[in-house]
Amino acid sequence: MKPILTAALSTVFLVTTASSVLADPAAGKAAFEAKGCGDCHYTAGPAKEKTIDDQLAKKGPELWYAGSKFQKDWLGKWLADPKPIRPMKFNVLTEENPGDHPKLAGADAASVADFLMSLTSTDVPAGKVKPKKNPKGRQIFIKKMPCSGCHQYAGRKNKISGGRSGPSLVDAGVRLNPDWILAYLKNPKVFKPVKMMPVFTGLLSDKDMMNVARYVANFKPKKKK
Amino acid sequence: MKNLMIIAAVAALASQLAMAPVGAAETEKVFKFYCAQCHGLTGKGDGPNVTKDFPVSPRNFTNAKEMNKLSDADLKNVIMDGGPSVSKSPMMPPWGKTLNAEEVDGLIKHLRVLCKCKGKQG
Repeated sequence: MKPILTAALSTVFLVTTASSVLADPAAGKAAFEAKGCGDCHYTAGPAKEKTIDDQLAKKGPELWYAGSKFQKDWLGKWLADPKPIRPMKFNVLTEENPGDHPKLAGADAASVADFLMSLTSTDVPAGKVKPKKNPKGRQIFIKKMPCSGCHQYAGRKNKISGGRSGPSLVDAGVRLNPDWILAYLKNPKVFKPVKMMPVFTGLLSDKDMMNVARYVANFKPKKKK
Repeated sequence: MKNLMIIAAVAALASQLAMAPVGAAETEKVFKFYCAQCHGLTGKGDGPNVTKDFPVSPRNFTNAKEMNKLSDADLKNVIMDGGPSVSKSPMMPPWGKTLNAEEVDGLIKHLRVLCKCKGKQG
């Protein structure tokens, strides 16, 4: 009797927990489709891009692993009040990001975030990366394999430095799942088979990739003193 | 027997196609996709990453005088293994795990078109 009770209680607990984490992905999916989000973002994996032309034909980033890539709190807020993440327009080197991503009303933003968070990849093992100050990661990021050449970040005294062709990594620790950063560095082609960023697999050791992931995942707004 | 010969001929043709050098149009696409971020769409070293904070000046490929100091082998090294392989800045990352050999060879030819120079010989 006891095992049955335990199992029943566990099921109730799991269902409750899951529903509080993923409130209503179905409603979010309907809103995603109704708002035409799918015109620019595809949500069914695996990755489809095989050539540069395939990548350039996309109007926005793929979202089929959004639930493994983003943090839910950030995603809901961003959908309700989107601010440019990329300094340059998506897939364009000669135009600034116009900052014209459509805004979703509060309820839609929350349900679309639920839907997107339900889209996960089995290639992002959970619980691997703990955000942490990391001098080795910093050294690689700024000097050795200079991620900073293409990605903005907040340096000393909060000064924004870095290149503009990649997505900004300012406050990336609020936006990105730390485990995704590592998974992407280790196995980039699963997520983005054709991309402007070099493949670092085989060039950086697993340990160094972990250092970079920890360092980037620690990019958070500085607390005001 | 005839069938076998046809299969062999098709296989030979297919392997030749696989080894075929990347055409100029395809190479330009590769250049604009990967290299232009820093080197600019026309190769003048003025891509969108080059802000006043950028620690070095990316190579201007239209500068024949500078480009003539480098052999094709130097270009290959720097593309495959990054700036430090030729005692230059690590801001030039290694592309050896990203580009295939045909793409790299195509890019070297493209750089020679941009500089209108043959580079250091021998």
